[in-house]
Amino acid sequence: MPEAYKIIDHSYDAVVVGAGGSGLRATMGVAGAGLKTACITKVFPTRSHTVAAQGGIAASLGNMGPDHWTWHMYDTVKGSDWLGDQDAIEYMVREAPAAVYELEHAGVPFSRTTEGKIYQRPFGGMMQNMGAGPPAQRTCAAADRTGHAMLHALYQQSLKYDADFYIEYFAIDLIMENGECRGVIAICMADGSIHRFRSKATVLATGGYGRCYFSATSAHTCTGDGGGMALRAGLPLQDLEFVQFHPTGIYGAGVLITEGARGEGGYLTNSAGERFMERYAPSAKDLASRDVVSRSMAMEIREGRGVGKERDHIFLHLDHIDPKILHERLPGITETGKVFAGVDLTRQPLPVVPTVHYNMGGIPTNYHGEVVTLRDGNPDTVVPGLFAVGEAACVSVHGANRLGSNSLIDLVVFGRATGHRIAELVKPGTSHKPLPADSADFALSRLDHFRNAQGGTPTADIRLKMQKTMQRHCAVFRTEELMAEGVDLMNGVYASMQDIQVTDRSLIWNTDLIETMELDNLISQAQCTIRGAIARKESRGAHMHEDYPNRDDDNWMKHSISWFEGWGGQGGKVTLDSRPVHEYTLTEEIDYIKPKARVY
Amino acid sequence: MTSKFTSASTIKGVRGLGAARSGVHHWWMQRVTAAGNLLLMAWFIISLILLPDLSFESVTAWVARPLVAIPLLLLILSSFWHARLGVQVVLEDYVHTEGMKLLATLALNFFILGTAAVAIFSLLSIAFGGPRA
Amino acid sequence: MAEFTLPANSKINGKGKSYPAPNGATRVRTFKIYRWSPDDGQNPRYDSYALDLDDCGPMVLDALIKIKSEIDPTLTFRRSCREGICGSCAMNIDGANTLACTMAINDVKGDVTITPLPHMEVVKDLVPDMTHFYAQYASIKPWLQTVSPEPALKERVQSPDDRAKLDGLYECILCACCSTACPSYWWNSDRFLGPAILLQAYRWLADSRDEMTGERLDALEDPFRLYRCHTIMNCATVCPKGLNPAKAIAEIKKLMVARAI
Repeated sequence: MPEAYKIIDHSYDAVVVGAGGSGLRATMGVAGAGLKTACITKVFPTRSHTVAAQGGIAASLGNMGPDHWTWHMYDTVKGSDWLGDQDAIEYMVREAPAAVYELEHAGVPFSRTTEGKIYQRPFGGMMQNMGAGPPAQRTCAAADRTGHAMLHALYQQSLKYDADFYIEYFAIDLIMENGECRGVIAICMADGSIHRFRSKATVLATGGYGRCYFSATSAHTCTGDGGGMALRAGLPLQDLEFVQFHPTGIYGAGVLITEGARGEGGYLTNSAGERFMERYAPSAKDLASRDVVSRSMAMEIREGRGVGKERDHIFLHLDHIDPKILHERLPGITETGKVFAGVDLTRQPLPVVPTVHYNMGGIPTNYHGEVVTLRDGNPDTVVPGLFAVGEAACVSVHGANRLGSNSLIDLVVFGRATGHRIAELVKPGTSHKPLPADSADFALSRLDHFRNAQGGTPTADIRLKMQKTMQRHCAVFRTEELMAEGVDLMNGVYASMQDIQVTDRSLIWNTDLIETMELDNLISQAQCTIRGAIARKESRGAHMHEDYPNRDDDNWMKHSISWFEGWGGQGGKVTLDSRPVHEYTLTEEIDYIKPKARVY
Repeated sequence: MTSKFTSASTIKGVRGLGAARSGVHHWWMQRVTAAGNLLLMAWFIISLILLPDLSFESVTAWVARPLVAIPLLLLILSSFWHARLGVQVVLEDYVHTEGMKLLATLALNFFILGTAAVAIFSLLSIAFGGPRA
Repeated sequence: MAEFTLPANSKINGKGKSYPAPNGATRVRTFKIYRWSPDDGQNPRYDSYALDLDDCGPMVLDALIKIKSEIDPTLTFRRSCREGICGSCAMNIDGANTLACTMAINDVKGDVTITPLPHMEVVKDLVPDMTHFYAQYASIKPWLQTVSPEPALKERVQSPDDRAKLDGLYECILCACCSTACPSYWWNSDRFLGPAILLQAYRWLADSRDEMTGERLDALEDPFRLYRCHTIMNCATVCPKGLNPAKAIAEIKKLMVARAI
């Protein structure tokens, strides 16, 4: 069967899968070090989801008031509800300013202060003085199009370097040999040819899997392809139960409205017109961290104080802000509000609702970007040849809840770190070991299976069932009963993958086939998410378990990791275990920040 | 995308033979001659209207005056030059076979030069009082 | 010569399929969609899909996804962010280039006709080949170029006024709606850079931090690369982000004159 497909072979020092912020930054790093580098991406780089990031990128530049990396570190640790690894967090916040200056030097059109420096705005959970306040202006912004400005700049930089881009190629599976990653198999969407990339270092920069939920700010392409490949390669994913709900997705459309809207003075109200966040977070109010705001909103709605006909959403007010300021600092969401909610932000409040936004969990890595796994009792066993960065990875700097504007900095800091690490490990031009003879068999048998799938249930039906089940049974509020029901339902949805129906048999731009393989990637992660969620008997960060409403550091101060067996509806067993949280810092310049009650 | 995109190989076609480092003069002269045409043509039309009559005698007598013949000469230069520049743009827009384009451009230049020469000769004949038809 | 009629194998063959509205549909709207597959050797056709708008999202992209999910999974188009920032779903809707994700169905009167971006090679259905467009983008060296060294651990200073000069330029999402609406680009895209790429070129000319203005102008000074723009203005009319490439091109022409005379 695999013989029927034409295989084209390539050899590279390093292959990066994904061309969003982290993938492009990693590509730039390895190509810049003189390694022969390929970047494989299923969409043209500037279509990647980084482009949709709005508010900004966090770094303690101190351009608009006092700031220090230790304060940024404290906020990130507290935001993570102490589940973040503090060595990695220290690395990120210390490298952050240099990473932002690097972006500026690359041409990112940051907004400016009157002195001509990079403009920084307040963001949720970002404070001065080790959490004591007042709010820190730490989030560097290019109006409300920071991700767009950044992604385009990173793509522009990549044109300077000698990296080969394989655009509109869909990565199917990793090539693994004796626990080592030897490369990746991809299909060229334009002509259906199969490409086997032999590589000494493979970087998964494939983003999150937000599309396993029904209502997500994530793009249609956020299908967690790297996570799916890692699971099929027998590697565990980490902390998947932590799914961030962004407080302000536009009601109905699910389109993101940046937290920067609240950073610039916006606030939320309920049906009584009350600024209810003052009750839930007396000091940070509307700028509490996202899990807190989302949960407060959900609470208001649940207690009957939602707005609208169904009383199922909340109002975001920006109508008190000077239209000139809105136009200058939030032009993008002004337009988005008009298009997707039919609302003139300068006069009317915007209907918003907590919407799935970000996966804190992902492929476990250390702060060099090397993928790690639990093997023979060692929780930090490096998987040779495999790296992960960005939302696909779980370093873990975001722990149980990510702070707004920490994702963009995560992308560039760890994209860069991974580039450095690969440059250390791989010498340019050294020869490759031959690949095992069956290196393409697994990927091709999956491809062929789905391409000829003649079941009775179209891909879109199964996807919709998965999305609705996850939305209902594994959302902001989680109970034992609701999740147990969800686990059963999800098992059924997973099993229905065996009856999948693919209509398009073509090899040229067969999006029916690609969406099916994406669904296969999504559904294994959805399964691990709900199983991880029901197993974690505590509430921490974005994981709010109503039967266990408190954080339980004695039993649950640990990363959960999950393996998934099978694909395409076969198998389906989820195995859970744990890795310890790194309760130490990178240097002696800061002590481990001890857990305490998390109040905003 | 039809195939592998590498920044080096596909760019070659786009970069082609490089920038011609010309075009600004052409573009600018098109504007200058347009402005010239506007002024001179306005003067020409208004002058014709103000003539007592449009008989052969009164028009040639008017043309023969130095302060008429000189602007008229300028009008011929400006409008024929403008036409040449404009039609060249049209040819570049729509004629894509290189040989055809070369031929058409040559023909255009010969035509414009030829007709402009006829116009200038006629004007000068009148201005310098040459033999009347 | 420029081609003013479709090549024989591009003519619509009239053999399109028609999918009726579901029973009980109250607000029916027909979507007439260009279909072409390289696999079957057939000429392109229009397939018609009748949808119930009461059971469909408000945007044209919602309708396309609904058709692909529920009626015809072979329908092929690019899409990603669905909020008008990634530029994937650029196509011609009701005769004008735009993004399917921000184009409301209700803004179209009557049947919604959808075709790929005009005058591009079609890969399949609504997917055009963008390779040449992207290569043109790369050719203008779209990155910050300086002679002076980078300040160490500091940003390059830029006044808010200088930064404001980039507004209306940096927001371009490279969707190619403007370029493929430009007749000059239709006739001469092999050499004319087109409005999108010229707007991007001006974005770097206008950046107070960039120090390669002369070199950038040198590379643009060409009867074809730049001067095929005849201010037809289709670019500004169709830009889904409300940008004005024609104005950016006019600014480049002004700079050219400024350094020549």
